Amino acid sequence: MELFQYLPQTNCKKCGKLTCMAFSLELLKGNVNIEECTPLLDESKYQNKYSKLKELLKGEEGQKRELKIGIDIVKCDGCGICVTICPVNARYCYSILSGKVADYPPDKHQLFMVKEGKCELLSIENCRRLVTEGKERECRVCETYCPRVAIKIEYI
Amino acid sequence: MINKKFLIKKNTEFKKMSDQIKITCSGCSLLCDDIIIIKHEKDIEKILGTCLKGKEKFNQIISKNRILNPLIRKNNSLEKINWDIALDKAVQMINNSIKPVLYGLSNISCEAQLNAIKIARKINGFIDSNSTICQGQVLNFASKIGITTMTLTDIINKSDVIILWGVNVVESIPRLLSKILFSRGKFRITGREIKSLIIVDIYKTASFNVLGTRDLALIIKPDNDIELIRFLKKYCREEYKIPAGGNSGIDKQDLERLISILLNSEHISILTGQALIKPQGEGHPMKELLELIKILNKYKKIGRVSLMMVGGHYNMVGFEHIALAETGKNQSIQFRNGKSVQTEETIISKLQNQDFDLSIIVGTDPISHFPAAISKNLSSKPMILIDNKKSGTYLIADLILPTAITGIECEGLAFRLDHVPIKLKKIIDPPNNILSDAKLLENILMKLE
Amino acid sequence: MEMILNTIRLIDYDQNKEWIHNDIESMEDNLAIGFINPMDFKEMYLVPSLKLRISNKYGDIIIKFKQGKDIPRGIILMPISMWSNQLSYVENKNIIYKNIKVQVEGTRDSPTKLIELINRIKKK
Ligand code: SF4
Ligand code: SF4
Ligand code: SF4
Ligand code: SF4
Repeated sequence: MELFQYLPQTNCKKCGKLTCMAFSLELLKGNVNIEECTPLLDESKYQNKYSKLKELLKGEEGQKRELKIGIDIVKCDGCGICVTICPVNARYCYSILSGKVADYPPDKHQLFMVKEGKCELLSIENCRRLVTEGKERECRVCETYCPRVAIKIEYI
Repeated sequence: MINKKFLIKKNTEFKKMSDQIKITCSGCSLLCDDIIIIKHEKDIEKILGTCLKGKEKFNQIISKNRILNPLIRKNNSLEKINWDIALDKAVQMINNSIKPVLYGLSNISCEAQLNAIKIARKINGFIDSNSTICQGQVLNFASKIGITTMTLTDIINKSDVIILWGVNVVESIPRLLSKILFSRGKFRITGREIKSLIIVDIYKTASFNVLGTRDLALIIKPDNDIELIRFLKKYCREEYKIPAGGNSGIDKQDLERLISILLNSEHISILTGQALIKPQGEGHPMKELLELIKILNKYKKIGRVSLMMVGGHYNMVGFEHIALAETGKNQSIQFRNGKSVQTEETIISKLQNQDFDLSIIVGTDPISHFPAAISKNLSSKPMILIDNKKSGTYLIADLILPTAITGIECEGLAFRLDHVPIKLKKIIDPPNNILSDAKLLENILMKLE
Repeated sequence: MEMILNTIRLIDYDQNKEWIHNDIESMEDNLAIGFINPMDFKEMYLVPSLKLRISNKYGDIIIKFKQGKDIPRGIILMPISMWSNQLSYVENKNIIYKNIKVQVEGTRDSPTKLIELINRIKKK
């Protein structure tokens, strides 16, 4: 979200995205160029921000980056919130809907599983950030609600 | 060919399923009944679904601090003895005492609790459980004021507001929030989106990390809960009159929002724990809270407000039910001539006044849990400890009788925190053929007769 | 410095957990711990290698400490354990676990041992 701070944050839509937030997300994934945000180039008051942004994105510009969901095993206490809240899990595993432990062996769509008191990421193939379109693609709920701040969604 | 392949795959999968059992975790009072265990011959291979706390319960089986033999303290060191001598010694100690007390009983099955009460009746002792210093007091107020409760399923399906008042459930009952807040109930298709969470605490605990935009975080000054509850009682019908300065360190805006949520939402569940148990000033916050709930329920157009006590030990509620059925009192029971008699004493006052000559501690660790002054009194008299692992009390007790772990090595009944009875299963055999709490207490009872 | 002690339950510093994995001799490594605000830390001129001596009229203990920015000023948090219970007390048949007034100061001594606490309790 660092990127967002350096955008004009006026939501002027000149870049073709609905909001600056949306633009910053695309920027993070490497789908768009900074230059597409024209106010950043045109208006002199944004000059500082532009150079900062350039710096932040240096060397990574244009590259497609890969999604990584990291779970900090030391912090995690197996509360199962990520298992329950992930919309993909809830959709394919009936028992997760009511907050229960999913059946074993896990469904092939299931993303998280709690094993031996720690959370385990089974696969990220079906994560909404990869397979859906539109607003759903900005899903971040597992990271937001983890009480131990153990989940990190990154693009590397 | 293809068919055959398919068949083989099916078969192996089926084998996997047969090794798989659903059990109930006895790690805390939530008693999660959806834990999956994969067994390999006689050992547990995988544990799926427990939180870290539940996993620790399973670690107890092979822990180096597990007690496996009866022990007796002679000249300040512990000696192994065999079971017959140990039981005789226990009976002898009990027979020698005039004013024995039994304490603990929250970490054992209901069957064991029943036997413990029978022993107390037999020896004319005083029996009390951990709930005396925890949720037991709430029932005393509830019997005068009234209480509305909800089961967990009710909360999952109906609640739209959950209030955590001075209880950091992320640390004490880790899976509670994933069950009640994030799950999607029957009448609610979406989960987190429609459920609001309000947290009242004195500092930003780990539970605050799950707050979203709909939620409310209230950080109050220490020891000001009663102040806030009284304030809510006064202004819950007149939120436009709230003074500009707010109350108890919470500003006016948040208070207005709180009252609006309290009045306009449907089913509200208030979860509370140790923080409201002790008196503040001359009043008691629990009493005020029950009164507030009563007022709110009177004015609410739809739905209701309910209260749930969050305790730590897995069968604290069980003792209250068993004791109530057996003696008509939920805690602090004094037997005289085989009958329970009226008494104002609790385990605390008994220990404080040194009004006992033998203590029998079952499945708990009072030496670590009680203030040092009381622990000193406790250690000055003979003590029998019945437990499965070492603890502070272990270092002081005179006679130690080990037991199996209920829910893993023996079965039993336990009550969940919302007063729902749940059966605990036996998964593996106990080491050294040690007995369950229920069986051990029964043996002592038989010897006494 | 005068502070308010609150005893709480923390999953990482749970007594049950400690009694499963640790030896009696090393129990203080994890259980004898407190949490304070960084501002209080500065105000008491502490350095991370120091320990804290906490005392009131009921007892005194030496513990390690960590800083937490979410902890309010003037409050020290401790997981419930034999250490914290040296400072708790009884009032009108209620055990006071929360909001206990204590004196806190830095010290070079090492944390109080479990055995020492047991010996204190055993002494009549
Ligand atoms: S063009 Fe720049 S300022 Fe306009 S919405 Fe896009 S990111 Fe925001
Ligand atoms: S980002 Fe969304 S879909 Fe992906 S794992 Fe997290 S919760 Fe599930
Ligand atoms: S939400 Fe966080 S703490 Fe809970 S199981 Fe998932 S990763 Fe672990
Ligand atoms: S929340 Fe309690 S009952 Fe559920 S798995 Fe964790 S320790 Fe066991």
